[in-house]
Order: sequence, then C-alpha cells, then structure tokens
Amino acid sequence: MSDTVLAAKPFLVEEFLSSENISLADETVFEIFASMLSIDISITPPPVPEIGVGDERTAIVGYSGAMRGCCEVQMDEKAASVVASAMLGGGPVTDADSLDDAVGEISNMIAGGWKDRVPSLSEHCALSPPTVITGRAYKVHMSRPSVKLMRCYTFQGQYLFLTLRREDVPVA
Amino acid sequence: MKGTILVVDDSAMMRKIVLRTLKMAEIEFEEVLEAGDGAEALTELRTHNVALIMCDINMPNMTGLELLLKIKEEGLAPGVPIVMVTTEGSESLVRQAILAGAKGYIRKPFTLDHIKNNVKPLLAA
Repeated sequence: MSDTVLAAKPFLVEEFLSSENISLADETVFEIFASMLSIDISITPPPVPEIGVGDERTAIVGYSGAMRGCCEVQMDEKAASVVASAMLGGGPVTDADSLDDAVGEISNMIAGGWKDRVPSLSEHCALSPPTVITGRAYKVHMSRPSVKLMRCYTFQGQYLFLTLRREDVPVA
Repeated sequence: MKGTILVVDDSAMMRKIVLRTLKMAEIEFEEVLEAGDGAEALTELRTHNVALIMCDINMPNMTGLELLLKIKEEGLAPGVPIVMVTTEGSESLVRQAILAGAKGYIRKPFTLDHIKNNVKPLLAA
C-alpha cells in the first residue's frame, strides 16, 4: 500500500458562500471571544458610518493550498484596546504594538479556527503569519478574481468586521 | 516550580497569555524565557537549561515544527516536555509535531482547563 496523500475534496465557491459556511465563521468568532476573552459577541448589521476614520487596524492572514485567499479582521483602536485588555486579563492596554498584536492574534485564531471547521480545508490549507495594517486606505489585491464573505459583530459597544476572501478558481 | 520555562510565539501578547494561563493553572517557574520565533528559541536553548517549552507553530524565520527538528538534531533539551500551542489544529500537523518530539498539543483558542489537562500531567511525569 502506498503512502499517497489523498487529494483534497474541492471546496467549491458555492460552499464558501453558503449559509453553512457563514455559520462556521460565526461559530469560530463566538468560540474565540468566549474562551480567550470572556466577552459576549453577537452578529450585527454594519453601522453607518462604518467606524471612525483613520484609527482602524486590519489584520490579514493568508491561505494557501486547497484554497487561496485571506482572512481579514478589522476593528478601530477602541475595539482593539478592549480585545487586548481582555486578552491580558483586564488592565488597560493602549500601546500601539500591543493593539496590533491583539488584532493580529484574533485574526490568526479566526483564520485557523474557521479553516479547521471546513473538512476539505483542514488538512490541505496553510496559514501565513498575520500582517497588521493601520488606516483604511488600502486595497487587497488577489491574483485571480475572487469572492468574499463579510460579517459584522458587536461586543461591548465595539465592532469587529470579518472578511473571508477566496480566489474563484474553476474546478479542474 | 523549580527551573525555567521557555515560551515561543511571534506574538508577545500570546506569550503573556500563555504565561498568565499557566500561572492561573498554578504552573509557575522561577525563570521565564521568551522567544519570538524558532531561531530565537534555539539560541536560548543552547545557553539555558529549561524544564518546559510552550511553542507556537506558525511563526516567521523558523516555524515550531522546524524548531522541533533542530532540537532533536542538536540534542538540545533532552527529556524536556514540549507543548505546541497553535491555531493549526489539523491532524497531520499534530502527528508531525508528535513525531518530531512534541509531548502535547493545545489549540488556540484555549481555556484554563486545556492548559491544566495538557501541561500538568507532563510535569508530574
């Protein structure tokens, strides 16, 4: 018997955009906030205007392998401070490095947690370390046409925006 | 607890969380060493004796799996329990880590109970 690694079952765009997959993303976010931060978080429609100008942080984790794409987590400075404080057990956290780090780690856990919930990705998709961007004047360029899922969550009066992108690759 | 712990993670925040959770689990060491990637961890291990290593997998420069292989190759930290703490929860990665020398595997996000159940028995052994 050979040690051939079975090819991944394709994760179709339809599956990526399905309500089941959206539930997996929500479940991942809820689990992280409950277990690591002890904070209640819920789904909410995006606020208008979205969030303050200029103080946003976006952490991006890339996917490669069975799915090429990325996981983006965006929040403003106040939200990042709430997350960082909760991560460290309560005291106020305001320094930029810690806020970047906190948003990066949340993004990392969401990216990995969601991927592990998708059977066809769990064993066949790798993550990049998170990259954190400050400000809102950026655009994510994918090398091929892509589709995306966007979700907005609220916690302690703050907002977290989650975007999952995947390249729209036709199945061979 | 006597000895030194080495926490390896590219996130300073996560290193603090791991140390805080260990403390809550009543697992405290006399000395704490921190490393931001596998290469930094190797430097620490070449110059310090440690009693426990808590290590991320997905790090720049040298990953946790590469670090495990280097530790084995150089004969560093013999008999020291190494626990992987990572967002990567795939079975194949767990298997690779165990084969490379890890004694435990904790998936992020983790709870106090995860730390207690996966780390304490290794220190008692």
